[in-house]
Amino acid sequence: MEFLQSGAGVRTVRLDPRTKIVLLFAVSTVLLLGGNGPAMFAVRTTMLLFPFALLAVSVRVRVAVLMLAAYLGTYALAVFAAPALSGVANAFVVASATVVSRFVPTLALAYFVFATTTVSEFMAAMARMRMPDWITIPLSVLFRFFPTLGEEARAIGAAMRMRGISPLRNGVTYVECALVPLMSCAVSIGEDLSAAALARGLGGPAKRTNVCAIGFGALDIAVIAVSAAATALLAASLTFPGAIA
Amino acid sequence: MNGGVREGAPVLLMDNVSFFYAGERSGAGVAGISLSLCAGELALLCGRSGCGKTTVTRLANGLAPHFYEGTVAGSVRVCGLDVARAELWETARLVGSVFQNPKSQFYNVDVRGEVAFGCENLGFDPADIERRVDDAVREFDLAPLLDASIFSLSGGQKQRVACASATATSPRLVVLDEPSSNLDFETIARLRAAIVRWKESGAAVLVAEHRIHYLDGLADQVIYLDEGRIAHRWSGEEFARLDDAERVRLGLRARSVADALRFPERSRLAPDVPSRSDDGRAGQTPRKAAKPEKPPIRFEKLTADYRKNGAFERALDVPSLELPQASVTALVGPCGAGKSTFAEAVCGLNRCEGTMEIDGERLGKRDRRRRCFMVMQNVNHQLFAESVLDEVLLGMTGDDRGQRALSILRDLDLDELAQAHPLSLSGGQRQRVAIAQALATDRPLIVYDEPTSGLDLAHMRQVAETIRGVRARDATQIVITHDPEFVLSCCTHVAMMENGRIADTFPLCEETANRLADLFLAYDRP
Repeated sequence: MEFLQSGAGVRTVRLDPRTKIVLLFAVSTVLLLGGNGPAMFAVRTTMLLFPFALLAVSVRVRVAVLMLAAYLGTYALAVFAAPALSGVANAFVVASATVVSRFVPTLALAYFVFATTTVSEFMAAMARMRMPDWITIPLSVLFRFFPTLGEEARAIGAAMRMRGISPLRNGVTYVECALVPLMSCAVSIGEDLSAAALARGLGGPAKRTNVCAIGFGALDIAVIAVSAAATALLAASLTFPGAIA
Repeated sequence: MNGGVREGAPVLLMDNVSFFYAGERSGAGVAGISLSLCAGELALLCGRSGCGKTTVTRLANGLAPHFYEGTVAGSVRVCGLDVARAELWETARLVGSVFQNPKSQFYNVDVRGEVAFGCENLGFDPADIERRVDDAVREFDLAPLLDASIFSLSGGQKQRVACASATATSPRLVVLDEPSSNLDFETIARLRAAIVRWKESGAAVLVAEHRIHYLDGLADQVIYLDEGRIAHRWSGEEFARLDDAERVRLGLRARSVADALRFPERSRLAPDVPSRSDDGRAGQTPRKAAKPEKPPIRFEKLTADYRKNGAFERALDVPSLELPQASVTALVGPCGAGKSTFAEAVCGLNRCEGTMEIDGERLGKRDRRRRCFMVMQNVNHQLFAESVLDEVLLGMTGDDRGQRALSILRDLDLDELAQAHPLSLSGGQRQRVAIAQALATDRPLIVYDEPTSGLDLAHMRQVAETIRGVRARDATQIVITHDPEFVLSCCTHVAMMENGRIADTFPLCEETANRLADLFLAYDRP
């Protein structure tokens, strides 16, 4: 299962975790708030291509293509369904397709961030930004927690298929069946993970050292510049709607 | 780093320690524990499930009372440090820990980061960490895995990473809590080698364990706990000389590899199920069905692939395999050989090709999901209902289903728990509820994924007995296991798996027991 795995070995783009955070912020803001006019359309297009391009060059072509297909599909649906449908159906289809198409690029980027950052790099970056432990540690646990929970969810799904419990036949019961074991797994995984980390000295007052090399390169500066420019343009177009045509 | 401790002074000193878990926290409290462990020594904690072994290890690494809250009395000192009062990060400088479940003891997602993790937390110099990581990687042969994602490793490989990570901080005391539960023989041999190195390097080692055969000749002290108290204390030699009947009476697993692989007297004398008079013959002529009127279960061209770095690799390739009806086949082989993939393919749970034939009926993937059943290693994944009875009724049809459900529960010794919530049961009871689900829906083939990992002698025998009982109802069973004692106590056939293929199959009887031993011992000396 390749879900969200971070292979430190396969890395073609090396971005500092801080750059990734800046980019994540810029992409999500620009795509969700939008802005109107041809200039902002150009900015939006640039920002939404970023995540897919990053996924593709970091040897995750399959995910990149799937995500891009999901984006184009929902976008096309929103554009072509609008004139073809009417009434409630129109409102429902257009609204949900628009929402999904706006979230997909951000999800793709989040996938990229999780899949190409090791916990060690993330903690080093947070330390450089002088983030306190109570922010860094819970966030760093997420890197492990979701993939582990994903493995559990897969096993639970298999158990349900074996007993013929399906979403179509059982409806609400299906959700209940999936959630009860998943919750109890999540609790025990969380507890085991914390015990193992604490037993190895996490959270002590000693300044945590780090073996991974993080730092800004030319690529980081370029990505940050583009992100900053896009966010600035968005801010400008929102404050002075007429200024940027 | 000597910590200012005198030569010859104990590394771990417990003096009349008691601990009781606070609130509803599950776990066995302990009382009056005293032990003294010097550098280079190994103490083995053993006893039945729930005797408090794990609690003693938690006291040694400080997780009790700092993480698992409770009241502690007496003193626990590691190299003079008062563990019960010191902070966990202070204890972490002296104590390295390896836990039972390889799945949930990692903090990182990459192997290199995980090995360095403890050193980073303790604030070692980066250049020093590099050197320590390199040493640990060499010692545990992790170089090929260094840049892999931890999620892609097998259970055995994960446990090696955990050991390397514990070694990297050069601990004075290494605490191991049932480290072999999920391991195959090859990884257990590596674990033994690691323990030898720790002892030679002057670290003290504290192990809580059920499967104790791999510690043969390594233990300097053996401590037997019963209901939270030390009931017996032997030196390594005394323990080795202990009468075997006494060992069984105390509920302990085999003490040496040779013992674990010995064909049991009992099963020869007493046929497990009286109704099956053809037991002996079934054992000797496996390819011909035990009951001539029922054809064997046949698998043909069973294959499955998995994706690795974007490319497909063959994980399973079984051209043909026959299992006699009502047989119990032990599926053995190293971690990562494809045993689980085979089990998933049999139950129609993964992407696979090939067919299966039961009673002359060819089953596609969808049919296999209805006709085969897997009892998972983590049985909690398959308990959905509010009560044991509902759990069994789910999926049953027919007017008499209530009565049939109760009779199945009676057979599995669960009738008194019919109204209990599945999550309130013990591990063994939950496992039997899963088996009850399979019986309730008349599955002709049941697959078990490591049903005895982490079980003591009594519970292991209970599982074996349940499997023999299921056999009496004419279901065919496959058991994935690394546990030779268990194989010898209930299996009729053995299938050895290697690199996704079935490398060898044979019926299990006294004459073939040594072939089983060979399979396990092939990996004993890596």
